[in-house]
Amino acid sequence: MKEMAETKPPAAGIRGWQIALLAVILGLIILFYKGLWGNPSYIPPVLVGTAAPEITAPDLYQPKEVSLSQFRGKVVVLNFWASWCQECKLEHQNLLAIQKRFAQNPNFVLLGVNYQDKEDLAREYLQEHGNNFEHIRDVKGRISIDYGVYGVPETFVIDQNGMIRHKQIGPIIGETYTFLVERMIEPLLNGTATAS
Amino acid sequence: MMKHWILISFLLVFFTSLATAETLTEDQLQVRVKEVAKTLRCAVCQSESVWESNAELAIQMRDIIRERLSQGQSPDEIRAYFVSRYGDFILLQPRAFVGMNWLLWGGPFLLLIVGGTFLFRTLRKWVAQTAPSPPEELSPIDERGRRRIEQELRSLESDK
Repeated sequence: MKEMAETKPPAAGIRGWQIALLAVILGLIILFYKGLWGNPSYIPPVLVGTAAPEITAPDLYQPKEVSLSQFRGKVVVLNFWASWCQECKLEHQNLLAIQKRFAQNPNFVLLGVNYQDKEDLAREYLQEHGNNFEHIRDVKGRISIDYGVYGVPETFVIDQNGMIRHKQIGPIIGETYTFLVERMIEPLLNGTATAS
Repeated sequence: MMKHWILISFLLVFFTSLATAETLTEDQLQVRVKEVAKTLRCAVCQSESVWESNAELAIQMRDIIRERLSQGQSPDEIRAYFVSRYGDFILLQPRAFVGMNWLLWGGPFLLLIVGGTFLFRTLRKWVAQTAPSPPEELSPIDERGRRRIEQELRSLESDK
């Protein structure tokens, strides 16, 4: 009996391995779960926190070139849209509201980028749904690829130093609208935004 | 007059060869565009490469590849440009040692090693526990048992 009491319990040596193995399997299950239930068409934004690529593109209405650098020192909201995009229609009135809300602030610019669209259709769309801000045309898709855009609508918030602070995939509606206005644009304009 | 004909013939040969050279360059360029485009994912069609897809975005990406190759950029530089815009997602074959990708490539091997070691240790322990004890390790029979056996043997003999 004394001998038996002194010997190590048989399970004690394995327990460490069991825990390690369980942790590895659990980790893999979590990874697979995330992979299976995540949106397969979602591309994580990689440009947030980096300098916004320069843009030079024709204005949708006037015969002039518009460049992003001319807005340096201002908060720029860059919205990619198209006349054939259904979700763009959902957010359009909110974009007009954003422009109306900050129109008096000289440090705010809302710039629309017309994506994979025809010029006349884009103009018709704006005539039908209303317009109160400037739009440029992404003629060869260079701007949208430079910004890693893969669908519309997509919206970028660029700070006074030309850094991309936020990328919104999908329409600016509901909580997204509130977040964009109250948590992104206003703090940047007031100088109370925290570094991302 | 003869001089003129020689000059015309020379110019004809010269421009024809130039045109052929341009065609060859275009073919080579097309091959290189294909090489790069086949390694990039069409961001809007998921399971197709930029080369195979007819989506507008894929066509525009092929134009960029062509333009950058013509400017003398290497395939790796062009891929790096698209990765800087879309992240690793844009590569059809993820890079092995970037971010958490190593887990994808090394994970199965790691699991095999950990699992194999665990199995080996468990089986070894199990075999050691269930194997019959060698005869010398058997506990000697005590006096009570010995008497019992002798008694049983005697009763067997008396029964005969």
